[in-house]
Amino acid sequence: MTRFLRRLRYWLHHDRMDAELAEEMEFHRAMLSDEGRTAAMGNRTLARENARGVWIWPWLESLWQDAVYAVRTMRRQPGFTLTALAALGSAIGVNTSLFTIFNAVALRPWPVADPSRIVTISRLMREGGGDFGIAEYRYLAQNSKSFTGMIAMRNGERVKMADRTLQLTYVSGNYFAVLGVQVERGRGFLEQEDVTGAPVAVAAISHDLWENRLGGDPQIVGRTIRLDDIPFTVVGVTPEDFTGTNPLRNDVWIPLPARKLLRPNDPSVQNWLTAANVCCSPIAGRLAVGVTRRAAGAELTILVDRFRQQNQLSSQNPRIVTAGTAWIESPRKKRQVVPTILALFIAVTLVLLLACANVGNLLLARAAARRQEIAVRLSLGGSRLRLVRQLLVECMLLALMASGIGLSMALVLPAAIMRQLASDQIFHVALDLNVLLYTIAVATLSCLAFGLAPALHGTRAGIAGALKSGDAPDPAHTRLPLRSALLAVQVAISVILLVNAGLLVRGIQRAQHLDPGFDVQNSSVLAIDLPASQYTGPRTRELTSALWAQLERSHDLPACGLTLNPPLGNSTYSTSFQLTDRPGSPTLHIYSNEISGGYADALGMRLLAGRNFVPEDVSRDVLIVNQAAAKRFWPGENPLGKAAVANERVRQIVGVISDTYTNDLTEIEAVIYFPVTGSWGAPAVVVHDRGAATFDRIAALVKQIEPRAEIRSETLAARFDRKLQPSIYASELAGLLGLLALAIASVGMSGVFAYVVGQRTREIGVRMALGAQPSQIVRLVLGSSVRALACGLACGIAGAAGISALLANALPGVHPLDVLAYSGVVMLLIAAVTLASAVPARRATRVDPVRALRWE
Amino acid sequence: MGKHEPLELLPGTLDLLILKIVAKGTMHGYGIASMLKTASEDVLEVGESSLYPALQRLLLNGWVTAEWGASENNRRARFYTITAAGRKRLAAERADFERMVGAIQRVLQTT
Repeated sequence: MTRFLRRLRYWLHHDRMDAELAEEMEFHRAMLSDEGRTAAMGNRTLARENARGVWIWPWLESLWQDAVYAVRTMRRQPGFTLTALAALGSAIGVNTSLFTIFNAVALRPWPVADPSRIVTISRLMREGGGDFGIAEYRYLAQNSKSFTGMIAMRNGERVKMADRTLQLTYVSGNYFAVLGVQVERGRGFLEQEDVTGAPVAVAAISHDLWENRLGGDPQIVGRTIRLDDIPFTVVGVTPEDFTGTNPLRNDVWIPLPARKLLRPNDPSVQNWLTAANVCCSPIAGRLAVGVTRRAAGAELTILVDRFRQQNQLSSQNPRIVTAGTAWIESPRKKRQVVPTILALFIAVTLVLLLACANVGNLLLARAAARRQEIAVRLSLGGSRLRLVRQLLVECMLLALMASGIGLSMALVLPAAIMRQLASDQIFHVALDLNVLLYTIAVATLSCLAFGLAPALHGTRAGIAGALKSGDAPDPAHTRLPLRSALLAVQVAISVILLVNAGLLVRGIQRAQHLDPGFDVQNSSVLAIDLPASQYTGPRTRELTSALWAQLERSHDLPACGLTLNPPLGNSTYSTSFQLTDRPGSPTLHIYSNEISGGYADALGMRLLAGRNFVPEDVSRDVLIVNQAAAKRFWPGENPLGKAAVANERVRQIVGVISDTYTNDLTEIEAVIYFPVTGSWGAPAVVVHDRGAATFDRIAALVKQIEPRAEIRSETLAARFDRKLQPSIYASELAGLLGLLALAIASVGMSGVFAYVVGQRTREIGVRMALGAQPSQIVRLVLGSSVRALACGLACGIAGAAGISALLANALPGVHPLDVLAYSGVVMLLIAAVTLASAVPARRATRVDPVRALRWE
Repeated sequence: MGKHEPLELLPGTLDLLILKIVAKGTMHGYGIASMLKTASEDVLEVGESSLYPALQRLLLNGWVTAEWGASENNRRARFYTITAAGRKRLAAERADFERMVGAIQRVLQTT
């Protein structure tokens, strides 16, 4: 072993070692020439090579021998090799695929120059509100010494160009310069284009937009494009590999102040650009040389505090943190996605473990078959270490070939999955060095996992016993426990994966029949899109009240109403709420919505007490609450006529309506409803119908009031399905992993049974000769593993119950102790065992007693 | 014709001879070669291409250690020192070698 360490030391310092050797030999030559014996000098390079070779060559040579030998053994046993490769390859494949996605989504930094120096900056607060105002950004950018440049951006704006919807990002003028993005045509923005008081209508467009929607016009720079009907001059085209700084595909960038031009009638823009206490624009910066992330964060914390003091804002003592630009590093994202990612990695690791147990078992069976060979080598003086090494080389070779299979799976699978899940996101799914290193690490670890125990086990065999007779039955106490344990592990893991998949599937079934509180099957939502550049608060309010009045008059329409926030969407509104009749009660934040009188009927909800809203309620201080709110705030009392402070005004409760789920399907929350005003944006129409004719009539009503409005209709059922989609994907994925696990385990079981039959051929022959029935023989074969199977099943069910308790918290409709799911899995497993034992058992019953006995 | 050509070493004996030489005292590579030559009265001569691999082999096995120092004419040279394991090895190899030589002698004398 010390030899190995010395060799390792040589490799680690081989540059210095080589130099020393060279110097030493130079000295030798110098001495020779001093004595005038130049003839005694040999070939200098050859001498050096020879001396160096001592360290490396013998080791490499024996490694090579092992590898060649391993290839030969693998070729001699194609059945074993193929089975092992299929099991291990598919397991490594799912691991690598998951990692490839993870790598693309979460680990990749922004596609900019030297991304390691770019940090995102966020405010660490207990609840939300992490980003910055533009005025705050300008203050920080001016005063901070930690950065060579700071940028601000605001994503998520949609604009229309002709009839296409584009993604637009507002950016500070130095955006491209700081990120080091080399604009492909034209230029980035100039400083004078980012002056708050003097907006300029300039835009940079993406390579994709330029090539695919503007026909790759070579004269594009200087041309005008119309965004929401406002003319903007194109000043640059970004390079093809720059896809923006958020996961959504971005098409257009314009300077921050140009928002005034794009939204001329929105009074909040001025506020956004200049007020001190607004939020929500992410900022980032390029660290100056020698400044650490921590130091930059500390400086910014002080600056933000000073900024708030200067502007007479209460100090919230927020801590400013800096993080890398990869998605996973964002402090908020981390909290959201890490549990999901962890669950996925645990699942695929279980599959890998299962495959390792499987291959380990195959190796064990093979080691038993090679006992004679190993015993001969040991008795001839082969060192055990050398033998173990040779077996491990075989495993490593197997693992490397399997990772080849895994990598080719990872070439195809992740891209296909990402197309399904997120077509408008720009995750660049590809194999890279990270993926390669991960795969090699997984392969090496799995090689050790499945190879080490059998190798140690196999070389331990007593020499004398093994030499005497090649296929003597194993003494039960040496090899069987390990084999049984490996079998039990496989069964347990497949049970865990299958039960969880079953629970997810059952959960979705249950969720699909869940009563969300409204009539999912017969209701629809019609969203109204208004031309944003021309719409202002007052006009949206006018449209809203006109539409409400119009709907009230249209008695021949099915029940319909207006709402700010249609059900089963992604957004939530909340408002401040305080009970007035109880002094000292705290101000709460609870869910709220704005609705018109027809809302409850349109969605099949029930009015439980009081009345619905009427158009005149817009100017009255009235509220409707749902049942949950009534129960929570006025338990055992009639809430009608009670007053509460909601959104800073005292309002009176006029009605109670039935409970519904709002956005997620796990919990019913207390909700208060205001009459719909349009102050927060255009309302959506909800209607108790799903026919196109009704949609057209409602669209016509809206267009009467505003001809430029566009209507998007969607059934509530479709929105409901979309809500369930993540769980459906999760259950599909879990199901596939479970089936893969079961397939691998079945192959493993089959192998074990075949081995048992092979080992006990003579015994079976004797029994047959003495008149045993085939069914008894089958029982004999199965019986050998029944304890292992039962043990695996029990452990699997216990493990699954533990894990599924966690699952039930995260997904709707999942009951951790679903009898049907568990019994289904047990039946599936019994079927798999029967199938796996069928072939070996048939072979056992066909054993020819005469031939089997003649072997003796 | 009076002068004999230097002989090739018997395989495996170079390590033994080097160990024997450094067992007497720390010495650099060139010194070992010269010592070999003088001690064998010019019969044995070893070139760089076998001396240095042998020294590396001894280092690898931990039988000698090497350290840089100044040579007698003040050049930088690497000096080899025998280790305890090296002494043990020397004793073992020497015993083996003597048995072998004895055996060869006996065979040569009887036939």
